[in-house]
Amino acid sequence: MKSEISEKRFMPEVSRKEIDELKNTVKAASQKIMADNIERMKKADPHRPEVMKYFDEMANLFGQRQKEIQTEKEKGKKVIGYMCLFAPTELIMAAGAIPVRVNSGFYDTSKVGDRVVPVEVCPVIRSTIGAKMIELSPFMEQSDALISVLTCDGMTKLGEILSDYKIVWGMNIPRIKDSTQSLRFWNDEIKHMKTQIEQFTGNKITRKNLKGAIEQTQRATKAFRRLQDLRKGSPVIMGRDAMLVNQTFLWDDKKRWTEKTEALCDELEKRVERKEWVCSPDTPRVMVTGTPMFWPDNWKLPTLVEEANPKGVIVADELCSGERILNDPVGVDEWSMDDMLNAIGERYLMASTCPCFTSKDGNEDRINWLLNKVKEWNVQGVIYYVVRGCMLYAMEYTRVKKALDKINVPVYYLDTEYTREDVGQLKTRVEAFLEMLTARVDI
Amino acid sequence: MITVGMDLGTQKVKVVILKDGAVLARAQAFSGFDPTKAAEQAVEEVLKDTKLKLSDVANFTATGSAMDMAPYAKSTVSMMGADAKAGVYLIPNARTIIDVGAEEARAVKCDEKGFMVDFVVNERCAAGAGTFIEAMARALEVKLEDMGPLALKAERASPINASCVIFGESDVVSLIHRQESKPEIARAVFDAMADRISSMVHRLGVNPDVVLVGGVAKDVGFVASLNRKLGLNVVIPEFPDFVGALGAALTAVNRAKETPK
Repeated sequence: MKSEISEKRFMPEVSRKEIDELKNTVKAASQKIMADNIERMKKADPHRPEVMKYFDEMANLFGQRQKEIQTEKEKGKKVIGYMCLFAPTELIMAAGAIPVRVNSGFYDTSKVGDRVVPVEVCPVIRSTIGAKMIELSPFMEQSDALISVLTCDGMTKLGEILSDYKIVWGMNIPRIKDSTQSLRFWNDEIKHMKTQIEQFTGNKITRKNLKGAIEQTQRATKAFRRLQDLRKGSPVIMGRDAMLVNQTFLWDDKKRWTEKTEALCDELEKRVERKEWVCSPDTPRVMVTGTPMFWPDNWKLPTLVEEANPKGVIVADELCSGERILNDPVGVDEWSMDDMLNAIGERYLMASTCPCFTSKDGNEDRINWLLNKVKEWNVQGVIYYVVRGCMLYAMEYTRVKKALDKINVPVYYLDTEYTREDVGQLKTRVEAFLEMLTARVDI
Repeated sequence: MITVGMDLGTQKVKVVILKDGAVLARAQAFSGFDPTKAAEQAVEEVLKDTKLKLSDVANFTATGSAMDMAPYAKSTVSMMGADAKAGVYLIPNARTIIDVGAEEARAVKCDEKGFMVDFVVNERCAAGAGTFIEAMARALEVKLEDMGPLALKAERASPINASCVIFGESDVVSLIHRQESKPEIARAVFDAMADRISSMVHRLGVNPDVVLVGGVAKDVGFVASLNRKLGLNVVIPEFPDFVGALGAALTAVNRAKETPK
């Protein structure tokens, strides 16, 4: 291992006893939540496709996948974690390492994180810090190094704080997207990251391996897009199920994930032919956008929407924990090393709809994504989901609302926290919104 | 056709009984620890007043934060949906309904048919709702119903923080220590609330007529502050605290037609 981290600059010293106690309590609560979420998803679709069992297993954060990664690690493989989707996972794969996203979706660890940062900070950040403190999150623990992309303020400082425990590599993302100097700068970051990964893993990223990794991810994108296309028509899969499939990609084996997703699509296509809908075709069609929603605890909103009275179905999302993971493939013309690296750079920068970019110079990518989804997926209403402290998404709301107002699609701003206590209040709001969408259809 | 609307709020349960869309009677009861029982009592009262029986009622529809606990309910309607429906029924030109209850304030934008087209709810905090007035009245050692008339006597405004009931209360205490007069402090309380609510309404767009409903609409002090902040005169229907229940009873008419017994 590389340089041991000796001095903790941010994190308080916590006794082994306290770490173990907290870890056991929170882990037990999370296991209950995971089982409960899956039970409810099963209940929502009594004929849930058989292959969903596979994704349920992958969603068990303390289950099969953790063990598989452990075995790989024992064989000498490195695990590289990342917090933002800008991390070029193809490079990690090409170096024979395993990429895993490590953002925490545990509600209870956000309270632990409060010991390090104030409660005003976004709970995704607080929870990730807390999870690290009590060594809860398997993929974070297994990570040998982390890629921290400096996107929002929270993510920028998170990487710094986590460097108390891990080797953390920062990637500097330009905030103005549509400019040649930004792309040049970012492509240099990508090249630098390649060198860092190579040095760390001791594996040279060869042309052949990088091509293989890009193609592997392209195949995953193809499977993903097939699944998204199946959600355009009458509902054939509950939104929660599709979101779970998307999210497990973040830590699953990429090849196996692709095969299973294709198998799921095969089954769903048969159901489309038989007109076997998962819920009534006139169920209001909802899109969610905003702060990412991480498994397992932060499954609150999708569950509320799909269990509400009247109920809705999520047909699309614009979330970096959802469709944004795989929506865009790396497009390569010539398979030279330089071309591949530039193509990776371009894909990660230009395709992103992250609100960390300024729209001042005409960057309308996020708005265009939303408008396109509304049109192609027949979205009837949008829920704009923001957790307290998530400044960038909160500040983009009025802009999104204006764009959706123009095409007469209602949008509702729903703010919440990493807590289970506000479910009653949120239910009232979600149900009023869905009632409004139903009334627009019925009467 | 007889229909009943029940509004199971955080503080009170309100019940309205309608015959062919016209109000026959109203009743209310404190929610207490058992809103179901409170609703049963209120329903019993309106039935007694109108000499009707449970079986005469074609449809019971519930609304309010405890609507899931409503007795007899055949259907439910959201508080925002109920506000829109009853607001436009009572004031046909209503396009914005502001509802300030004990624990929650909300604003609903509606169309001429009484359908909501948008809504906002105050953030998870009671500082923009009736409970805030209660807490501040306690700090001032003034009866709740005297707060409004007291505020009207104020000669000037003194700002306080209404981002939170607790901080607001400590602000009020420091105003008391600074020997600020009670009318000024009472007005400061209403101004702070009206400030929060008007910025919430502005997020939705202020479309006249603006109608104010909910229990707090009966407080003259709050109404004066809200009118000042919004720069218009809000319209207040008779029995503003029964608007939610009325909306539920009107929804019940439609629901009874949809699902014949």
